[in-house]
Amino acid sequence: MSGAAGGSIATRSSDPVLDPVRALPFPEAALPILHNTQLRTNVAHATDIIQAKRARLVQEKSDWQALRTAAAAIRDNVLQNLGDYLEQFETNCIAAGGFVHWATDADEARRIILDLLRDENASEVIKIKTMTSAEIQLNPALEAAGIHPVETDLAELILQLGDDEPSHIVVPALHVNRFQVREIFARRMGLPNLADDPQALTAAARAHLRKKFLSVPAAISGANFLIAETGSVSIVESEGNGRMCLTLPRTLITLAGIEKVLPRYRDLEVMLQILARSATGERMNPYTSLWTGVVPNDGPQRFHVVLLDNGRSSILARPVERQTLRCIRCAACQNACPVYRQTGGHAYGSVYGGPIGAILTPQLMHLEHAQSLPYASSLCGACYEVCPVKINIPEVLIELRAQVTDIERKQATRVFDPMYLGMRVANTIFSSAGLFHLAQRLGRIALAPFTRKDGWIHSLPSLGSRWTVSRDLRGLSKQTFRDWWSVRQKEKP
Amino acid sequence: MRASLFIACYNDTLFPETGRAVVHLLERLGVNLDFNPGQTCCGQMHANTGFRAEAFSQAKRFVRLYQNAETVVIPSSSCVAMIRDQYPGLFAELGNDSLRNEFTALFPRVYELSEFLIDKLAVEDVGAYFPHRVTYHASCHGLRALHLGDRPFRLLSKVRGLELVPLANLDRCCGFGGTFSIKNAAVSSAMLETKLHDVLSTRAEFCAALDNSCLMHLGGALHRRSNPMRTIHLAQILACTGSTPAEAFA
Amino acid sequence: MSATGSRQSILARIRSATADSASTTPYASLPRNYTHSGSQPTAAVLHLLAERLREYDADLIECSPADLAACIADRLAASGRHKFVAPTDLPAAWLAPGFDWLIDHNLTHHQIELCDGVLTAAFAAIADSGTIVLHHSSTEGRRVLTLLPDWHLCILRATQVVETLPEYFSRCGHPPALVTFISGPSATADIEMTRIKGVHGPRFLNVILVRDDLQSVPHHYEAGSHEQL
Repeated sequence: MSGAAGGSIATRSSDPVLDPVRALPFPEAALPILHNTQLRTNVAHATDIIQAKRARLVQEKSDWQALRTAAAAIRDNVLQNLGDYLEQFETNCIAAGGFVHWATDADEARRIILDLLRDENASEVIKIKTMTSAEIQLNPALEAAGIHPVETDLAELILQLGDDEPSHIVVPALHVNRFQVREIFARRMGLPNLADDPQALTAAARAHLRKKFLSVPAAISGANFLIAETGSVSIVESEGNGRMCLTLPRTLITLAGIEKVLPRYRDLEVMLQILARSATGERMNPYTSLWTGVVPNDGPQRFHVVLLDNGRSSILARPVERQTLRCIRCAACQNACPVYRQTGGHAYGSVYGGPIGAILTPQLMHLEHAQSLPYASSLCGACYEVCPVKINIPEVLIELRAQVTDIERKQATRVFDPMYLGMRVANTIFSSAGLFHLAQRLGRIALAPFTRKDGWIHSLPSLGSRWTVSRDLRGLSKQTFRDWWSVRQKEKP
Repeated sequence: MRASLFIACYNDTLFPETGRAVVHLLERLGVNLDFNPGQTCCGQMHANTGFRAEAFSQAKRFVRLYQNAETVVIPSSSCVAMIRDQYPGLFAELGNDSLRNEFTALFPRVYELSEFLIDKLAVEDVGAYFPHRVTYHASCHGLRALHLGDRPFRLLSKVRGLELVPLANLDRCCGFGGTFSIKNAAVSSAMLETKLHDVLSTRAEFCAALDNSCLMHLGGALHRRSNPMRTIHLAQILACTGSTPAEAFA
Repeated sequence: MSATGSRQSILARIRSATADSASTTPYASLPRNYTHSGSQPTAAVLHLLAERLREYDADLIECSPADLAACIADRLAASGRHKFVAPTDLPAAWLAPGFDWLIDHNLTHHQIELCDGVLTAAFAAIADSGTIVLHHSSTEGRRVLTLLPDWHLCILRATQVVETLPEYFSRCGHPPALVTFISGPSATADIEMTRIKGVHGPRFLNVILVRDDLQSVPHHYEAGSHEQL
């Protein structure tokens, strides 16, 4: 598929909106994507590959379940003692020459980062991929302040140059294929004769970014882990752009959600084993870096950590939902999800898509937005099965559905909503065997006009039409099971 | 062996032939089966859609109905998953001590059908005869919530005349998901399409499962396409013997 | 300014959220039933490391301690490169004659960028994942040294190789301030999941494994030959 004039790419789901405040509800957002065969093929291809690689490595790791148990336990221990670990991290980071800032919300985080960059007189800043910075919508704020953010991850570069949005936590451009990448690079890097093989494309990115790495004096990163014991930060990556950003500039700003902390350095022996296998199906990703504050003569001499709350402390308070914060952003759940497979990430209207997005985003929004996300799941449980920190995502989804329902049912508009009405009526029917039996008979009568000669229903009105859009429904038989049983009992000697 | 049958609201209404098959099968195996006509629904639909108070009232009803049952057999993995996975939380949050005790006492006595046959009756060969090409779809609740494992396969392997064709991507969800099929009809249909591709590739005559919920979804699409493949609950296969025509249950 | 205010309010919210935490398992009692030590003998562990490195297209060659200097010279010659950067405290014998050596006495990034390759020691290697671990001591070099040049020759002693990741952590003692774990040359799989080598870090990783674990000298290293395990 070629891009139309003006630079639109075939895989773009007509300007994806990854802002939960403005995004369409999931069922509507998904519709145009479901018609995008190219995108769905790309997503299926990518997730199949990562899943197969992951499965092979998990099979070979005889202590995989023990690692999951340890990882979940370590993360729970962190969450239970989060205040202590964060203070310990802060003390040690400062002692090592770093600065620690605390941001209550996205707005404050952006302000802190902007202030730090203004102190640098920075007109440009190089960035390592960090979903957290997308969560706080940092790039538009930087641009508005006259600071140009340069994404250095190949995927993020593809998205930035293509005016697109990430659709996966670990492989953000998985919805884009090589031909589309070639088109973007050729146009934006001025390389009309660029080949479309991944080798050539990668070489183009390497040349394009090298100049930036060696000249831009400030960098922004996220963090995979913060180590409380030492005040260290760890980042896991594949391309080397992370190492470039962490080592070459004068100033480094690391943005990290408060839940990213681990107690001790040695806890990485668990986390690193599960992260790479879950995220990219490798025993270890090419580069893992760890640094502590400022080290004289080695790397940035000005180092700032911005700790971000932005709704996390509210999640922490809730007994069932707290496990959401164990997440280490491996995206194994996205790769395993049969819903995500059909829609990719853009349909979730958030930088966090797939199963983790369905529980994290609504909670970060305090359930004021993204209320459709907990319903964007068939509750199949594949995510829970692969989650390296054992987050019982279906359990949290159901809990959030209950909370969303409690909020919605109080609204006047819901009184005659067919779904709400139907649920209340069904509950009444289920409360008494007599009513249930009656409803069965009435149901059969009501469906009779829609039932064809072959005994099947081809089309139904109202909510029923959503069933019959793609499926027939077998008509109700004359005799229900309980009727049959009752007749049989009477016939017994 | 005595057992109480909880047929599940949707089987009762939409798939009575599955219920009849369960009765014939278990009675043939010497089970003294009873059916309490007071039963309605386990509450799963309401729980999964977010109507927790309503789900609890149905859960309470279920527990009271079966407090004296020796064993409860349910030909629906999703209902058993509801009872095992969600009832504890519901009773902890909304119940009182007496209800919680009743539930705790009932908990170990609830079985999904294939569990009942393999674990409780300790039979794999139920004397069935079903000379057809069959593929088996592992519904998500059975697979991941109940960890049924190879139970259905062990039962199918002893059915005389049956040719079992493996289903590719066996553990991928068919897309039904209860009210998900309505609230997210488009995505549900896309998932159905993907699943159907694998099911049809088996060229089986029948697609079997332990849950009519999945089969209603798959079967509805097969019929929409005028495809000759039919869906069938495992109970109906197991109930067929040499002396009973397969057509009576299909 | 609001900075301290936010700190206080965030910590207060966290404390109130975790005040009624149900049974909290103390850190020391967390379940750690995963594999800690490897079970394979040294020869197998070294063989595993070599296998993993080759999977990443990293090159591994063995030699005896006595033959190290000659082996280094040979590797440098085989690279076709000429200008190399080295950390400050490498043994003089490693700096083979006939090449242009730049020792890292506070070199600028641009000076390092002009080098064709870098020579370093390492802290450890983990066979299970084919990982080289650098603690950036004065024989391993500042982080920029193993980042900018396109070709890295790493001298690893057999006694530095462990089988599992937990074994590496047991060896650490005090946690290091700087660590880089290298598992193959840089790579990306961002375009259609096709793994492409060499995006920004060194595209060529070479390892010389010095058999300091062996008492005698059974292998006689010959210039130009590859010693296979």
